[in-house]
Amino acid sequence: MKNLTLAIIMICSVLCAGAQRTVTGTVTDGQDGSPLSGVSISINGSKSGTSTNASGKYSIEVTDNAILLFTRVGYTDISLNAGSATILDVTMQLIRKNLQEVVITGYNTQTRRQSTASISRISGDDIKSQPIGSFEQMLQGESPGILIQSQSGQPGSAATVTIRGKGSVLGSTDPLYILDGVQITASDFQSINPSDIETYNILKDATGTAQYGSRGANGVIVLTTKRGTNQKTRINYDFQYGIAELPTNKLQLMNSAEKIDYELNYDRPDGMNPFGWTNEEADSLSKVNANLKDALFRRSTTIQHQLSLAGGNDRTKFFASGSVFDQQGLVITTGLRRVTGRINLDHTLGNFKIGLNTYVGSSKFTNTNENDQFIGSPLNAIRWANPYVTPYLPDGSYNELDLLLQGQPNAVKELVENPGSNKQLKLVGGLSVEYKFPGIKGLSARTNIGIDYTENENQQYFDRTTYQGSQQTGGQGSFGQNTTKTNRQTITTSLNYTKQIRDSRFNVSLFNEVVKRKFSGFGYTGFGLVGPFKNGAGITPGTSSNGFIPVVTSTETENAILSYFAIGDYSYKNKYFLSGTVRRDGSSRLADDNKWTTFGAIGASWVMSSEKFLSNSKFVSDLKLKVSYGSSANQGVGDDYEAKEQFGPTSYNGIGGLILTNLKKGDLTWEVRRTFNAGVDFGLLKNKITGSVEFYNSNTVGLYLNRQISGTNGANTILTNLGKLQNRGIEVALNVIPVQTKNFTWSVGGNFTYNRNKILQLDGTNENVNGLSINRVGESANSVYVVRYAGVDPATGEALYYTKDGKGTTNQYDPNDKVIVGKYDPPYFGGFNTSVNLKGLEASFLFTYSFGNKIFNGDRVNVENPTYYVSNISRDLLNEWRNPGDITNIPSPFNDFQPNTTRFVEDGKYLRLRNVTLSYTVPAGMIGKYRVNSIRFFAQGQNLITWSSFKGYDPEIASGILQGAQYPALKTFTVGINLGL
Amino acid sequence: MKKSYKIYSAVILYLIVIMTSCTKTIDIEPTHTANGDASFTKISDYEAALTGAYSRLLSVNYYGSSNGSSAFSTLSDMMTDNLFESSESLGNYQNFSHWTYTADDTNIDATWLAAYRVIQQCNLTLRNIDKLSATDPGAVNRVKSQALALRAFVHFDVLRYWGESSSRNSALKGIPYVSAFDIEQKPSRLSVKESYDAIIKDLMNAKDLMQDMDKPIQSVTSTTSTARGYIDEIGTNAILARIYNYSGEADSAIKYSSLAIAARPLASRAAFPLIWQDASTAEVIWSVKFTPLNSGTGDNVYYPVGNRASYRPTTNLTSLYDQANDIRYSSYFQLRARGSGSRLVLVKYLAKQAALPKPDGITDFKALRTGEMYLIRAEAYAQKSMEVEALADLNTLRAARINGFVPGTETGAALITAIGNERRKELVCEGHRWFDLKRSNRIVNRTSNCNVFCSLDASAREWVWPLPQTEILANPNIEQTTGY
Repeated sequence: MKNLTLAIIMICSVLCAGAQRTVTGTVTDGQDGSPLSGVSISINGSKSGTSTNASGKYSIEVTDNAILLFTRVGYTDISLNAGSATILDVTMQLIRKNLQEVVITGYNTQTRRQSTASISRISGDDIKSQPIGSFEQMLQGESPGILIQSQSGQPGSAATVTIRGKGSVLGSTDPLYILDGVQITASDFQSINPSDIETYNILKDATGTAQYGSRGANGVIVLTTKRGTNQKTRINYDFQYGIAELPTNKLQLMNSAEKIDYELNYDRPDGMNPFGWTNEEADSLSKVNANLKDALFRRSTTIQHQLSLAGGNDRTKFFASGSVFDQQGLVITTGLRRVTGRINLDHTLGNFKIGLNTYVGSSKFTNTNENDQFIGSPLNAIRWANPYVTPYLPDGSYNELDLLLQGQPNAVKELVENPGSNKQLKLVGGLSVEYKFPGIKGLSARTNIGIDYTENENQQYFDRTTYQGSQQTGGQGSFGQNTTKTNRQTITTSLNYTKQIRDSRFNVSLFNEVVKRKFSGFGYTGFGLVGPFKNGAGITPGTSSNGFIPVVTSTETENAILSYFAIGDYSYKNKYFLSGTVRRDGSSRLADDNKWTTFGAIGASWVMSSEKFLSNSKFVSDLKLKVSYGSSANQGVGDDYEAKEQFGPTSYNGIGGLILTNLKKGDLTWEVRRTFNAGVDFGLLKNKITGSVEFYNSNTVGLYLNRQISGTNGANTILTNLGKLQNRGIEVALNVIPVQTKNFTWSVGGNFTYNRNKILQLDGTNENVNGLSINRVGESANSVYVVRYAGVDPATGEALYYTKDGKGTTNQYDPNDKVIVGKYDPPYFGGFNTSVNLKGLEASFLFTYSFGNKIFNGDRVNVENPTYYVSNISRDLLNEWRNPGDITNIPSPFNDFQPNTTRFVEDGKYLRLRNVTLSYTVPAGMIGKYRVNSIRFFAQGQNLITWSSFKGYDPEIASGILQGAQYPALKTFTVGINLGL
Repeated sequence: MKKSYKIYSAVILYLIVIMTSCTKTIDIEPTHTANGDASFTKISDYEAALTGAYSRLLSVNYYGSSNGSSAFSTLSDMMTDNLFESSESLGNYQNFSHWTYTADDTNIDATWLAAYRVIQQCNLTLRNIDKLSATDPGAVNRVKSQALALRAFVHFDVLRYWGESSSRNSALKGIPYVSAFDIEQKPSRLSVKESYDAIIKDLMNAKDLMQDMDKPIQSVTSTTSTARGYIDEIGTNAILARIYNYSGEADSAIKYSSLAIAARPLASRAAFPLIWQDASTAEVIWSVKFTPLNSGTGDNVYYPVGNRASYRPTTNLTSLYDQANDIRYSSYFQLRARGSGSRLVLVKYLAKQAALPKPDGITDFKALRTGEMYLIRAEAYAQKSMEVEALADLNTLRAARINGFVPGTETGAALITAIGNERRKELVCEGHRWFDLKRSNRIVNRTSNCNVFCSLDASAREWVWPLPQTEILANPNIEQTTGY
């Protein structure tokens, strides 16, 4: 029967081939009227096709009443009946995130109309030019439901990404990242070139995440890279150069005169003038302006080059790119340098379609300690070093006075003399083969083999003359090198069948997948760096008497997941959609009789705007309702052998031994997140207003918690699936184009997310306190738990604290008076943007915000503790209570200092002007003669302004607790050019 | 039709290939750790587990020190009149030197866990070891006896902090005695008497097993740096002597201390300073072996790397010594420079001999040595009113330490006091002072170098540590220490 149909089609096309003629025309952009190159034009039912040239012109042979299909990435497809015309000019509209948009789950590709899932899609080109080393940070504020917090401004450092609230307390909350079908590790994004990314697809509900089974619970970010076209080779070159500087610091410390005044004149329990300055010394020190900041921070540069080629023909398409990214850190010696290369090939051979992706990225990342309270961390010296101690002595040598006075090492020396680096080599590659079975229409098979290989080499030298060097074993410096290799293979094989029966369309795919990860590490640290070499050659061989016994570590672990799954879709009249997934995962990490877990999801959607009662509406262009429910799991906990009783190596008296390092957990399983999602996608007024509203409710069951066991077993907790956690929220996205004329466009967009996190059940107990935070049933996980500070008693200078009931105050700090005063994770967040385009001159602004959270500012604790007065301290301490009747918020130094109070809890809300871009695209008419397709100049500013009351450099503190040593987000200005040849 | 058949066959074949992916893919065994279910088939596995048990003693919450509780090395002196907290201190142990600890104290929690972690490892060493008895009985006895002795020794250390009494037959609260590894067990506290019973039973059992071993636990004559690293029969005798000393069973204390003294005579005055530099094993019965990769044992008192003397010897203690002639004074204390001045610091744990020019604080911890045995025996004799023998032991020890010592003639209460003072002088920072006070008059009286928290009276609840709050929450069968 099928063969007969095929034959009829073939005969028909031969018969109808008679009346050929040529149609020509120009394709222009509906937004600014500029010619559109690279639009592919095909004739329905025929293999012939063409594409527009640089000036948007095309020419094609057609027959009467042929249906011409115009397609271009990012534009709405247009299908036209050629009739008998010979000139057909076409205007194409940019896709405005409406139902035509393609969304990718990694296992299937659908239009937004067909998908029942909640997926945010971000175009790589929209964000790629942000001057940031790590791509996930570029997604901040771009899409609802995804919270991106970059605690660190160190070039190449990774951000914390949370999709729809933290679904785990002990386990990882990082989403799963899939690049062209291959799972990649979240922490090595420093080596990925963001310009290669075509789309980011963020899977948020169960329809998407259940496809990833035991790995999907924290959401999935599916990245696809750019691919070739069947056209003349196009070359793009992008360049940008920029400088970065330090954001404003709101934590004011004492200057030299103030500090000397404080040391000499403010009474303290252990007396005044701790260092015994004479009058002359005090006078001269008061006039010193050490300016450690200028010695430690710099105005840093960022340089980026990117070259890409894309082209091919109908059978073979290619995309190739190379890039160099070089970003200096604000702190001297820190920075990221990355070189990358990529080749993507697609080849069609008969019924076979072969795809090949190869990627190499190499980076060198030099960082420094941050967010700690370590005296050797150079960034702590910014706060703690005395303001009258200059970094250098007049003869140019390091000034070590502070080490003598207060044990504070010279930060510049620590940084400069102790070089370290992290080098990473990243290879991501994949080969896919797709085969269309001849004879059975709609039946195909596909195999994808992918590799994600990462090699890290970390080196650290500690010079024996530095503080950190003197702390090394043997006290004479050290050199250490650590190499780790991670190799993850993803092999996916599938069989896919699609069938249309009248108004019904079925699509069923069966999958088998193996994901295998092998990790190995080797490292050594040698001591006694007393010779001329500052590397491995300088290590003094250890003997039993010299104390320089080197440390050697070696490790190797492996895990694997074996899965079978099925994904099915059904649609009726292209209006009603149903989809379902069932996935069964077996994991090597679980106990033998507990290895297999089944997940699933079901979703439905209804494109209401295709119904008769709306199809002619002038107001509603698109309207779609969707709902889904399903499960996926989080396996981001413990090590590869967590379920097994493990003994690790140890040694005693020169003999190797075994010690219990991991308790057996035969019942351990994955924590499962069950998500309900309901939403509406809409487009109004010819999609000039588009948007979506979604509601979700996800419950994590079998929440990983540390069950308390009797310490007489030698351990007092064991990881167990115990609790229940809820994340419930609303996401809203809205994009409006108020004005759109040939020469002028103004667009506004924004998104907002509210996520409420609530613990429903804990380990039989009602609460679990962990330092400054608490998990309590009925409250958000990770709530702020401190004693409320009630100010200073003017009569005595003592700090006052509210009692637990809040009714009275007491001068006795008591941990039992701790209460929940907020949450560390922001429940409200999002971003908004606007852009104006006038004849190719464009200005766009992106703002990001979050609010509703608190920050514990440990940086302030360190400088407001009066017992640390030998270090530099906060300027606020000049206002400390000194005499009865003083009204102040700073207690007397005679009063016991208590850090864990609301005195150091600050509001975490902020609004940030994340990105401003001014650009000019030279009109096509002006550049035609220079053999250039396009020229765009731009200037941008990153993190230019941040509105926040946080007393420090930057309010973006992912954990909510700043320990100290903050490396703030860079404030960057860049200029650049995009050239298309 | 034939073609379709072929296609269907191809599809089915393809499905078969997919669906039979080997399930062995997900059977992965660790290579760099040992799976407890699969290992422990040979005696060497059990030997390795025993080595692991000894290594647990290196914890900063047991004999180690830096940033841990240093519970059984220096903490017990920090809590008493032997040491005072100096202005160099970061204040991390004030809870202890001021006796203000409560059940949620992290160091108490850490000590509890560190001790039971040694016991856990002993119990894992003993788990199923008997299955090798048939083939290798001597080796099994060698491993098993040490695991039993170490398990008993550590339980006794737990009893020293948490036992509500030290008398042998007290019905007051003792400690949970854990003799098997089972993470679900929730043991209750035995009485002090029952705790002693269990401890002594294990030690006697160990002694029996030591009579029939394939080879000695360690060389008796060796003087190398690895010598005396394990508990052998001499060590077991010394442990028993200490236990009977606490429990007040004088006869037994005399019996076992005599056995230990006979096996390990006192060090000469020339050798004595070298003991603390790990250059001599004279009179060492059991020394816990530290390497530069562990933390220093005395860091919480004096941290040589940073030249920080957080706690310093009190005048009250140092005035007890004949400072010019007593070899212990110069071996234990030294003036060390700081800034423009200098101060007296504890140098007992400064460094091994080779590292002395740049001391790192790493030395072995001498857990049992003959000096203590003489003092135990002297005390036991005094208890039995055998004052001549008591004085003889005391004088022997003093003569060995003090140049030109004129034998003392103390009797009665003066003799008891003299033995007590000698214990302070001999054993400072070896983990005794707090327990000696606890088992005698239960009074701390800091008569020098003290402004606040200078005395703790006998009725104070702090003489017995509270159980960690985590234990109370996790274990419904356990009762908190009286008063907390």
